[in-house]
Amino acid sequence: MLLVEWRILLIATLLCLLPLSVQAEGVLRVLAWPGYADPDVVKEFEQRTHSKVEVTYIESDADMWRKVSEGNAANFDVFAVNTAELQRYIQHGLVSAINVAAIPNVQRQLPRFQQRQNIPGLVHEGKTYAIPYTYSEMGLIYDRKQVTTPPDSISAMWNKRYQGKVVAYNGGVHSFSLAAQSLGLPSPFHIGEQQWPQLVNQLIALRRNVSAFYTGPDESVALFRERHAALMFANFGSQQLQLLKAAGVDVGYAIPREGALAWLDCWAMTRSVRDPQLAARWISYLLEDMPGKVLLQRQGLANTTSPSPYFNNKARIVWLEPAESEERRDKLWGRILSGDRAAKVLQP
Amino acid sequence: MRYGIAVKLALLLAAVGICASALTGAYSYWLSRNLLVESSQKSLVASTQVLGRRVDTSLEEVARNLQVLSSHPSVRRTLQQPNAEMNAQLAELFELMMKANPAYFQIRLITAANFGLEQVRVDRQGGTFIKVADDDLQEKGHFSYVSETLQLPAGAIYMSRIAINHERGAYTGAEQPTMQLATPVRSAKGEALGVVVINLDVDGLFNLLATDLPNDFRLFLANGQGDILIHPDRSKTFGFDRGQRVLLQDEFPPTRELVEGVVNQVVFQQPTTDGLVQPVVMALVRLPVKLHSEEGQLFVGLAKPLASVKEGARHLGTLIMVSVLGFSVLGLLVALLLARLALRPLRQLIDAANLFAHGQPVGVLPTARQDEIGELARSFQHMHLQIGEQLSSLHASQEQLKQMAQYDALTELPNRRMLQDRLEVAITRAKRQGGCASVLFIDLDNFKEINDGWGHDAGDAVLVAVAQRLRRAVRATDTVARLGGDEFVVLLDGPDTERDTDLIANKLIECLAPGIPFQGGTLRIAASIGISMFPRHGVTASQLLMAADRAMYLVKARGRGGVGFAMLQD
Repeated sequence: MLLVEWRILLIATLLCLLPLSVQAEGVLRVLAWPGYADPDVVKEFEQRTHSKVEVTYIESDADMWRKVSEGNAANFDVFAVNTAELQRYIQHGLVSAINVAAIPNVQRQLPRFQQRQNIPGLVHEGKTYAIPYTYSEMGLIYDRKQVTTPPDSISAMWNKRYQGKVVAYNGGVHSFSLAAQSLGLPSPFHIGEQQWPQLVNQLIALRRNVSAFYTGPDESVALFRERHAALMFANFGSQQLQLLKAAGVDVGYAIPREGALAWLDCWAMTRSVRDPQLAARWISYLLEDMPGKVLLQRQGLANTTSPSPYFNNKARIVWLEPAESEERRDKLWGRILSGDRAAKVLQP
Repeated sequence: MRYGIAVKLALLLAAVGICASALTGAYSYWLSRNLLVESSQKSLVASTQVLGRRVDTSLEEVARNLQVLSSHPSVRRTLQQPNAEMNAQLAELFELMMKANPAYFQIRLITAANFGLEQVRVDRQGGTFIKVADDDLQEKGHFSYVSETLQLPAGAIYMSRIAINHERGAYTGAEQPTMQLATPVRSAKGEALGVVVINLDVDGLFNLLATDLPNDFRLFLANGQGDILIHPDRSKTFGFDRGQRVLLQDEFPPTRELVEGVVNQVVFQQPTTDGLVQPVVMALVRLPVKLHSEEGQLFVGLAKPLASVKEGARHLGTLIMVSVLGFSVLGLLVALLLARLALRPLRQLIDAANLFAHGQPVGVLPTARQDEIGELARSFQHMHLQIGEQLSSLHASQEQLKQMAQYDALTELPNRRMLQDRLEVAITRAKRQGGCASVLFIDLDNFKEINDGWGHDAGDAVLVAVAQRLRRAVRATDTVARLGGDEFVVLLDGPDTERDTDLIANKLIECLAPGIPFQGGTLRIAASIGISMFPRHGVTASQLLMAADRAMYLVKARGRGGVGFAMLQD
C-alpha cells in the first residue's frame, strides 16, 4: 500500500516538473517601444519564468504595422500598441482576445484603467484586446535659452524664426494629425479628400523648416543637442523630456492650445501567440512595482498603477483616434520625407 | 641474461631518454604551436591594419573626387545661376566618375537654396546610369549630409553614419547599406552655395578592398557604438534598422575593450557561434574617422578559419613526433651500449665468482676502480682470500680426520677398517685375476708381561717397533695393519703357495727376534702367526680373518711362537 502511494507521489512530482521543463524552453517574442522592456526588467522576468524573452524595438507606428502584419503576425507574441493603432490590428484579425483572468495584476491598476470598456477601442463585442500600460501626451519641448516665451501653438513648428532649429518626428500618421491641427481642421484624424493637398503642402513646409527628423527617443536627444535645436515635437512625451533633462539640457515643455495629441499604449497579443499563458504572465509582471518604477523613474513615463507626476490632467488633451487611412498617410509621408515636392507627393 | 640487470638498466636508461625526448617534444610542440598561432594572429592583425589603411585611402580618394567636383567652375556657376546645359555636362561628368568607381551609388549636386533641392543627380541602376531630372529631383535640406555639410568650410568632407538608405527614389542604392560623403561648394565670398554628395555602396566598397584577401577570410565592420554593419551572416547586420541591435561587443565579448576605447586592436579565437560556421581567429582594429562625421570611429575586422592555423600546427606536430621517435630509437641504442659498458666490471665479478665456485683461479678483478664496483671487487677479493684460507685449514682437518679414521694413531699403521677395505680390494682383484691373497694374523706372545712389568710406555714402544719392523719386512704393496692391542695383520698380495707364505711369516718372526731396545735394555718379544689364504681358507674378508685368527689361536695353544695355517674349508 505504501509502495503504491510512493509511486503516485513520484508520478505526481514528474508531472509537476514536466511543464516546468517545457516552460524553460519557452520563448516570448516581444515587440515594444524603447524603454518598455529594459534589459533588467526582462532579465527578472526570464529568471522568474525560466523563459527567454526576445525584444524587438520599433520606433514608429508604421514600423510596428509592417513588422506585425508581415507573415500574418507570426513573428511576435505580444506587442505594445496605442489604442488608436490597435483598431486596425483588430480589424485585420492580427490580435487575439486576452483572458484578463490570467493577468491578476490588472487589479493593481488605477480604477480608470480597470474600466476597460470606458476606454475607446479596448473592448470589442465584450472581448478585451489590450491591457493599458503607459500613456503620454505629445507636447512641445523647447530650449529655454532660445525660446523665451513657451510656444502656445503647434504652429510654432512652422515658425520661420525657428527654421533649421526644429526637430520633428518621422511618423506619417502623427505628422498629418499635427498638420491638420496647425491648419485648424475639425478633426486631426479624419482628413477629407479635398484636404490632402493642403496638408501635404503644410508638411512640406514643415520639412523645409526642420533641421532633422528623428525616430527614437535617444536619437531625438542627440539631435536636439547637436543641432542646438529650439523646438522639438515630443512624440514620446515625458520620456524625451526626462532624457533631455538627464542630459543636462535646459528645456521646457508646452501643451499647445490646439490640444496635445496623447497616446495610451497597451499590451496586446498577436493572433499567433505561442504561449498565451507566458504572454499573460509578461503583461501581469509589467504591472508590478519594479517595472512600474522603471517606467516612471527611469523612462519618465506614466504607469497605470499610480498617478502620473508627468501627465497634466488640466491641459487640453486629444486622445489618439484611428486615422481615416494610416496606409495613405504613411505612403505620402514617405515621399515627403524623401524630399519630394507636392506634385510628386500627391501622385497616385 | 634475458632479464638481466643489463637489460633492465638499458630499459631504464632508454625509458628516461624517451621520456625526456617526449617531454621536450611535447613542450616544443606546445611552444611552437603557440608561436605559430601568435604569429598567425599577428599577421592577421597586420592584414586588418592594412585593410583599415585601405579604407582610409578609399575614403580619401572619395574625398579627393568630391573636392575635384566641388572646385569645378561649372559647379559653382550653375549653383549661382542654374543652367540646364551646364547641369547636363555635370551629369556626364558624374556618370564618368561613377563608371570609374563601381562603389558609387549616386552623385549629386544639391543647392543650398530651395531647401536643399537636388540640381544634378545621377543614380546607378544596375549597369546603367540614370540622370534624374525635373519633378524627380528632391529637397534634401533636412538630411544631415546637406545641413551639416553646409556648415563646413570649403574643402572639408562630411561623412554620414553608415545606414540602410530608406530615401525613396534611389535606384540600385535603395534599401542598401550606404554612407554619404559630401563637401560644401562655397562662393568666392565664402557663402555656402550647395553640396556635392557621393553615396557610397558600403558592401561594394569593402568587397573591393578585400578582393585580394584569401578566400576563407571573412570581413567585419561595425560602427562607433559597435553595431555590426558587415558580417558573413547578413542577419547580424544593421540590427538597429530592424529594431534589434546586434553589437560587436555582445557577439564577440573580447571586442568590448576595443569598443569601449581601452585598446586599439584585438585579436582572439572565436569558437563557432550562430552566424559563424567554423571557429576562427579574428582581429579587429579601430579606424578613427578623420572626416567630419557623427560616426567618429569604425571597427574593421578580419577572420580566418582556425583550421588553417591548426594545419600548420599539425604539420609541426608530425615533424616533432618523427624527431621524438628517431631520438628515442637512438636513445635506446645508446642506453644498451652504456648499460653494457657500465656492467662490464660487474660481469667480471660474476665470472670471477663462478670460477671461484668451481675452485678455479679467479683471474683479474677490477680492484683498482675507485667507485662502488671497485669496492665490491676489493671486498670480493678479500672474501676470496679468506675463504681460501679457511678451505685449506678445513682440508687439513679433513685429512687428519681421515687419517684418524683409517690408521692407528700409535703405530700409524692402517686400522681394522682400512684393512677390511684393502682385504676386500685384494679379494676382488684376486677373484678377477685368478690370483691369491694371504692374511697373516699376528699376536705378540709376551706383550702382557712387558706391559705389566715395564709400563705402558714400554708396551707402546714395543708396538711401534713391531709395526716398523713388520712394515720393513714386507713389500710396499703389502699391507700391515694393527687391529688393536697386540694384534697385527699382514695382508700379502700374491704368494700362491703355502710355502712362500710360510717363508714370509717366518721372516716376520725372525725380524722380531733381536728384541726391542728400551731404556738401555732389550725387551724380548715373540709372535704367533695364523695364516689364511684366499680362496683356500675363505672367500670373504671376514672368513679369511676369522680363519687366520683361529689358526693363530691354534699356534698359541701349541706353545709359544710359531706359524700355523688355517684349516682347509669344508
